[in-house]
Amino acid sequence: MTVFVRKNADKPPMLVYENVKKCYGTFMAVNGVSLHVNAGEVVCLIGPSGSGKSTLLRCTNALETIDGGEIRFEGKPLPTKDAEIRQIRQRMGMVFQSFELFPHKTALENVSIGLTTVKKMATEKARTRAIALLTKVGLADKTANYPANLSGGQQQRVAIARALAMEPHVMLFDEPTSALDPETVGEVLNVMRNLAQEGMTMIVVTHEMSFARRVANWVVVFERGQLLEQGPPQQIFEAPTIERTRDFLGHLGWSG
Amino acid sequence: MNLDWSIVWQSRGPLLEGALVTILLTALTMMIAVPGGIVLALMRGSRLRPVAWFATGFVELFRNLPLLLLVYWAFYVMPVLTGLGLPPFATGLAALCLNVSAYNSETFRSGINSIRRGQSEAGLALGMSRSEVFRQIVLPQAWRRVLPILASTWVSLFKDTSLVSVIAVGELAHTAMQIRSQSFRVLEMLTAMAAIYWLLGYPQAKIVDWIHRKYGVRE
Ligand SMILES: Nc1ncnc2c1ncn2[C@@H]1O[C@H](COP(=O)(O)OP(=O)(O)OP(=O)(O)O)[C@@H](O)[C@H]1O
Ligand SMILES: [Mg+2]
Repeated sequence: MTVFVRKNADKPPMLVYENVKKCYGTFMAVNGVSLHVNAGEVVCLIGPSGSGKSTLLRCTNALETIDGGEIRFEGKPLPTKDAEIRQIRQRMGMVFQSFELFPHKTALENVSIGLTTVKKMATEKARTRAIALLTKVGLADKTANYPANLSGGQQQRVAIARALAMEPHVMLFDEPTSALDPETVGEVLNVMRNLAQEGMTMIVVTHEMSFARRVANWVVVFERGQLLEQGPPQQIFEAPTIERTRDFLGHLGWSG
Repeated sequence: MNLDWSIVWQSRGPLLEGALVTILLTALTMMIAVPGGIVLALMRGSRLRPVAWFATGFVELFRNLPLLLLVYWAFYVMPVLTGLGLPPFATGLAALCLNVSAYNSETFRSGINSIRRGQSEAGLALGMSRSEVFRQIVLPQAWRRVLPILASTWVSLFKDTSLVSVIAVGELAHTAMQIRSQSFRVLEMLTAMAAIYWLLGYPQAKIVDWIHRKYGVRE
C-alpha cells in the first residue's frame, strides 16, 4: 500500500485546528476537532446535518469565538482584537449557503464594496477589478444587475467574485450549492473547480459528494461535533475505515 | 344664524404665517427625531448595559406619555429642571422631539432587526468594521423598510403639532384660536382651520400612500 502524501506537506500548513471546541450553552457544537489544511489544498467537510461543519467554518474567520483549543492561521493563533481580526478576515474569503449578496447594490458594487471600504481603493480601480472578477466567473454581462434580477447560480457566482476581490489566501465555502436549483448547481461547481485548479486553498462544506470525490485533496467526515475520519477522497469514498462513514455515505445513496 | 366669512380672508396673513410655523415645526421635529431615533435604536442595541438601559427607559417613558401632557411638562417643568428658559417655539419643539424620537427609535429598531444576520456577517467576513457594516449594509436596507412608517409618522405629527398651541406657539391652531377669540367668529374660524389643515394634510397623505406602494411590499 502506497502512503498518501498531502499537497505541500513539506511546508508549514496554512491552517491548523488543535482540539477546537465550541459550545452553545451546554451543547458542544464542535467538540475537540484537530486537523490541518495545507496551502493549495481543497479540503471538503462532510457529515450529517448538525454535526458542526458550519460552526467550525465560522470559527475559522472568527464569526464565532472558540471556547477551547486553538486555530492557527499562517502560523499565528487567531487574534482577539477587533482590528486584527479584520486583517485576518481580509485574507479569508467566505461564501454562504444563502449567498448574502447586498440587495441594494448591483453585482459590480457587491464585488467592489470590500475594495473601496476595507482596502480604501479608488472607485475607478475597484471597478476595473470588479469587472475582471465578474468576467472570471462568467458574468461580464451582468455587472449592472441587482441581485433580485439574477438567478441563484448567478448570485452565488457574484458572491464568489466578491470574496475573491479581497485576494484571500483561503476560501471558505459553506454549502455553496445547497440553496440552488439543480440546473444552476453545475455553473457554481465549475467556478469552484477552476479556482481549485488555479491553486486556491479551499475549505468546502458540501453535500455534493461527486464534487468532493473529484476535486477534494482531503476529505473530513464530521459527526456530532467530532471528527469521524479524515483522509484522501479515495480512502473516504472507496474504503472508509470507519463503519459510520460508510453508513453516512450509504444514506446519501453513495455506494463506493 | 349670520355668518361672516370675510374674517377668514381678512386674517389670511396671520393664518398663512401660522401654517408656515406648523410646517416648520413638523419639518424641524422630523429633522431632529430621525437621527435621534437612529441613535436611540443603536443605544438600545448597545453591548454596554447602562447605555441600553438609559435608551430603553427614555423610549418607554416618552412613547407612553400623552403628547399634550408632555407639552405642558416641557413648558412648566423643564425650565425648573434644566434652568433653561426657552421660548414657546423651542419648548414645543423639544416636547415633540422627545415623543417622536421615541417613536422613531422603535421604528428603526424593528427595521434594523428585520435585516438578516447573514447580511452583517457577509460584511464582516470581507473585513469591514461593525460601523462600516451598519452604515453601508444594514442602514440602507433598513431605511427602505422604515420609510413608509416614517412617512405615516410625519402625517400624524403634522396634525399633532396643533397640541403645542396650548403653550402659545404661534402655529396654525393657535393663530386661528386667537383670531376666533378676538373676533368671536367661532364657526368661521374653526371651519377655516379645518379646511387649511385638510388642504395641507391631504396631499401629504397621498404622498405617503405612494411611498407605501413604492417601498411597502418589497422583499
Ligand atoms: N447560534 C447557535 N446557538 C445554538 N446552537 C447552535 C447555534 N449555531 C449552531 N448551533 C447548533 O450547533 C450544532 C452544529 O451546527 P452546524 O450549523 O455547525 O451544523 P452543520 O454540520 O453545518 O449542519 P448542516 O449540514 O445542517 O448545515 C447544531 O446542532 C446546531 O443546532
Ligand atoms: Mg451548515
